[in-house]
Amino acid sequence: MDKDNDILAKINGKSGMTVPDGYFAEFAKNMAMNLPERESQNIAPAPRSTWQQVRPYVYLAAMFMGIWCMLKMFTLMGTPDSATGIDNNPTLISALNDDSFVEELYADESIDSYSLLEDLYNEGFEASDFTQSVSYK
Amino acid sequence: MTNGTFKDNPELIARLRDENTCREAFAEVIATYSEPLYWQIRRMVQSHDDANDLLQNTFLKAWQSIDLFRGEAKLSTWLHKIAINESITFLAKERKRLNISIDDEESMLINTIEADEYIDGDELKLKLRKAIATLPEKQRLVFNMKYFDEMKYEEMSEILGTSVGALKASYHIAVKKIEQYFSEND
Repeated sequence: MDKDNDILAKINGKSGMTVPDGYFAEFAKNMAMNLPERESQNIAPAPRSTWQQVRPYVYLAAMFMGIWCMLKMFTLMGTPDSATGIDNNPTLISALNDDSFVEELYADESIDSYSLLEDLYNEGFEASDFTQSVSYK
Repeated sequence: MTNGTFKDNPELIARLRDENTCREAFAEVIATYSEPLYWQIRRMVQSHDDANDLLQNTFLKAWQSIDLFRGEAKLSTWLHKIAINESITFLAKERKRLNISIDDEESMLINTIEADEYIDGDELKLKLRKAIATLPEKQRLVFNMKYFDEMKYEEMSEILGTSVGALKASYHIAVKKIEQYFSEND
């Protein structure tokens, strides 16, 4: 505190304000006597609605759905990997294992035996290839 | 002059938290703190009647929210904060009611000082009150707490939420302004 200041030092921390006689004692007595009942501070929280209760789970499910959709989209957009390549494509495998499909495609009546053999010879097959794979008992 | 620094009594704090003893303990709080809080408020609002009303409001608010007092700050600090908030809110309402700006608060306070009937008649002290009324609100608070209450800067810092350095600067500026007021109004 700057008590070096003449005026402030002269006044010496006195404000010059007064109160009625016995004010503080009277105030304390009256105030203590007239204290109201306290309002409870432990107010129960308002009940939550059904939507408020399920909302976090809905948001969580929506988030997972979004992630799943993104992954699906990235998979479709990306290049096919070895698991879905032409050598082991599940659709092709099932089609080739289906005799009726093979018959329909290759045992077409429009293709005669001669044309088929000619095609095979052109591909580099020999007659011996057939005798090795087909046994006559 | 009243020193605003009080040490908390742990036993009193414990009784305040107990439903069965809180009313009696709070009566002790009123008896202990009514005088320093009254002067804190009175120096801000100047009028005894207004200070009396605001002191009652301060204790009512403290009583209603005593459960929120966690003991992290001192009880005196907590009560001073409530009292200062009450004073500042009151002054703001008065400015609004009288339709005056914060810059014109000085004239409002000087009118109140001149109409005050609870004074000791010392002209120099009256002049000091008018000089203090010319200070901005925050400087007025700092000056009152330091000069009249001789409060430590650390405690003032806790109450006002301002750094000690800023409070020292604020007090220094306030003293300079008061000196200037006296030199200009000789």
